Amino acid sequence: MSFLRYLRKINTQLQLPTRLERQFSNAGTKSAILQYEKDPQPQFTDTETQRLLQSMTQMQLDKVFRKRTVPDNDNEIKFMTTEQLENEFVKMIEKAKHQLQMPPVVKVKQDTERIISKDPALKDFQNTKFVFTDITYGLRQSDRKVVVRDVDGTLSYAPLETQKRMNQLYFPLKGRTFHTPRMFSEQEYLQRCLDDHKYEFVLDRLTVQYEPYELDFHQISAQVFQHLNESKEFDQLRSTRHFGPMAFFYAWHHCIDDLLYDMIRRDYLQNAVELIALSYKLHNVPVEFRKTISELDALQPTPEKRALNQLLSSLKSKEEHEGIQQEIQTAIGKAESDFAADEISLKFIEAYIASEHALKKVQLELAVQTLKEINLEKLQLYHGLKKAHGMHAS
Amino acid sequence: MLPITRGIYNALSLIARSPQNRYALHTASALQCKAVAAEAEAETAAEDVEQDAAAEQKLDANDRTKVIPVETSMRYLKSAAYKQTYGDDFVWVQYRRNHKGMFAPRKTRKTCIRQGKISTGNPCPICRDEYLVLDHRNTDLIKQFISPQSGQVLSYSKTGLCQKSHFKLLVAVERARDYGLLTYDVPFREYDYSEYYGKTEETAPKKP
Ligand SMILES: [Zn+2]
Repeated sequence: MSFLRYLRKINTQLQLPTRLERQFSNAGTKSAILQYEKDPQPQFTDTETQRLLQSMTQMQLDKVFRKRTVPDNDNEIKFMTTEQLENEFVKMIEKAKHQLQMPPVVKVKQDTERIISKDPALKDFQNTKFVFTDITYGLRQSDRKVVVRDVDGTLSYAPLETQKRMNQLYFPLKGRTFHTPRMFSEQEYLQRCLDDHKYEFVLDRLTVQYEPYELDFHQISAQVFQHLNESKEFDQLRSTRHFGPMAFFYAWHHCIDDLLYDMIRRDYLQNAVELIALSYKLHNVPVEFRKTISELDALQPTPEKRALNQLLSSLKSKEEHEGIQQEIQTAIGKAESDFAADEISLKFIEAYIASEHALKKVQLELAVQTLKEINLEKLQLYHGLKKAHGMHAS
Repeated sequence: MLPITRGIYNALSLIARSPQNRYALHTASALQCKAVAAEAEAETAAEDVEQDAAAEQKLDANDRTKVIPVETSMRYLKSAAYKQTYGDDFVWVQYRRNHKGMFAPRKTRKTCIRQGKISTGNPCPICRDEYLVLDHRNTDLIKQFISPQSGQVLSYSKTGLCQKSHFKLLVAVERARDYGLLTYDVPFREYDYSEYYGKTEETAPKKP
């Protein structure tokens, strides 16, 4: 009998480690769900990575500023001078950049028990725990002190779950609920959302409901990305804040080929190069990619500049000579610099396909081949049109 | 007057305990029955049987005791019969409230269905069609009641739903959002990067 009691005592003492173990084993059984095996944060926050991800995300203003069904949905009509309008455009780009802020990719935070003091004198003072929260205005969520006085008189820092709950209680985050939406808690409904291709909705809600360092955040986002990799609906996330983390996820887990195929098929060659470069960078592959990237950057504008130019082009009065050149470019969809950039990127992509890193070689080769043919046709058409208009084929 | 009839009704139903005692009330009050005698009850019961067939037919259209499963309703919303009834409009578009004077009362009626029957001549868009079932799975129906501009549930002053149906609608919408069956625009969450990155940088050098 005493032996049994002893066992029970051991059990209670070991409760915390076993719970942790269960979490890990749970992740183990769902072996399909990929996880970051080491802290991805330094790689993610690196300025070069960020630049690559931002460039890949692109900035389609129509998509960033799509009409949202939110309660305060009013628009304002103003008369402006051209100068004011130009300033407004610049502001819009800044705003779009803010809208595309990527959710941070950090490692899962483990709960550690930090005891402040043990006061056995307070044992059984009450039969419930007390939670004390510092509700000073303006503190950051993670800086807020939340402590718990246990029934047995132990005073300790609150576990993450309690901390999150108290934060939500005193400083509610819009859109977050106390109970987990059944969409996330029940696999069946999450699967259903994914099968309906509601990726952006799921990810948006995920960012609101969970903190980026929570295990659930990692598991669900990984599940979404993996489903996305199978359904190949990457275009849904393009030009949203989730594209960066998605590309990062694929690059980290060596499965960029489907995304790459999609990029090539849609003629986003620069993005394809950036994706390959990112995967090289993450896995320290000894291939020099920085030169190609800088060459491409010199030839093509950044997404922000491109969006701004697009906005400004609606203002410009067309000059005669410019007008025809512009017209040819818009008709074909490419300028001279684009053709040059394509050539560089194609060379880089082909080198990647030939290397041992590519997994779906045949598919990618085919895509590249068809794209090359289309591009060649376009180039011929471009030169032909130019000649017909009597311009120098410079 | 009402309490008296109700008293008689209660007394009658106590004695009768027949399954159709509701109809018994009508016949009984029609007969101006004052004496609650067993013989009279037997007489009325005999007459009931004859009238029942006719009464049942008349009451059938207003009877709402039958529970229609959601699956049926979901199929109905995709059917040709639905299309014929409503066309391309939402179910509430053609509905008009009845009221005296120029302005409708601010609130709609409490309920259209009392004691398993439609108790009004102008039931609300949900109650008038028994195959419209408000449920979180019935997203085709729920979507008709959500504003395309603000994403909120339309007010009953616009749709004309009775208070009970409107409440059911609110529950269904909330549930549908919880299950992820109904998408909506989630509020934008702004990240303070320093909250996630600054800290790890502080602790990172300490580890080794
Ligand atoms: Zn009603």
